[in-house]
Amino acid sequence: MDLFARNDGEHYLCGLIDGPCQIVGLDLLVQDAAHGAIAQFFGVVRNHNEGLTAVAVDYDVHPELALKALDDLCEDLCTNYPVKLVMIHSRGLVRVGEASVVIAASSTHRKDALGAVSEAIDQLKIRVPIWKKEIGPDDEQRWLDGHSLRKD
Amino acid sequence: MTTITVHCLGAFRALGDSLVIDVSDLSVASIRAAVSSSLVAMERADLNTVLTRSVFAEGDELLKDHVTISGREVSLLPPVAGG
Repeated sequence: MDLFARNDGEHYLCGLIDGPCQIVGLDLLVQDAAHGAIAQFFGVVRNHNEGLTAVAVDYDVHPELALKALDDLCEDLCTNYPVKLVMIHSRGLVRVGEASVVIAASSTHRKDALGAVSEAIDQLKIRVPIWKKEIGPDDEQRWLDGHSLRKD
Repeated sequence: MTTITVHCLGAFRALGDSLVIDVSDLSVASIRAAVSSSLVAMERADLNTVLTRSVFAEGDELLKDHVTISGREVSLLPPVAGG
């Protein structure tokens, strides 16, 4: 994948990509001969939200902070789970059916890979400075509310 | 007074890519108050509820309100919603 920002850790890769994420071949990034399990999560733009029709989501990103937050998150996950991990998020327009975030983890046994992927998407949603503007069929646009990063 | 550039993200993009504001001191609390006044002046007081839940950042550091910035540019980060 052609990432415009990326960090490579000892056991992980995280990054940001313009437009939709590629799904095919993600598992190859975490393949390991010692690992018997690979778990993947694809976050895909859906055609409705809160009773409204959507045709796309436009993702706004603070690249420097988002990459740092993704890196911190991957560090935490690789500390808590013995996995090989990849986590990539989109910037810009992603249409219905396309993936805006892809996560894959491999581990010796399935429990760690499944746990790491589940925690990764939960934490990404509340820690990484990314915002989504939902676009409707008549080009109506609305920013979606999210999780405050304010600590004071 | 000191002039500060505030880079807008998320819902604050409705105001443009950045705001230029004057502040009496370089504390984040003063910057927050100045942005709030600007929102009223721009007839976007509705964004004050978002501002209350937003955080400022300088470079790659998130800032608490008692902190004083060292430069003249900050980013304004509304509540995040990735995924």
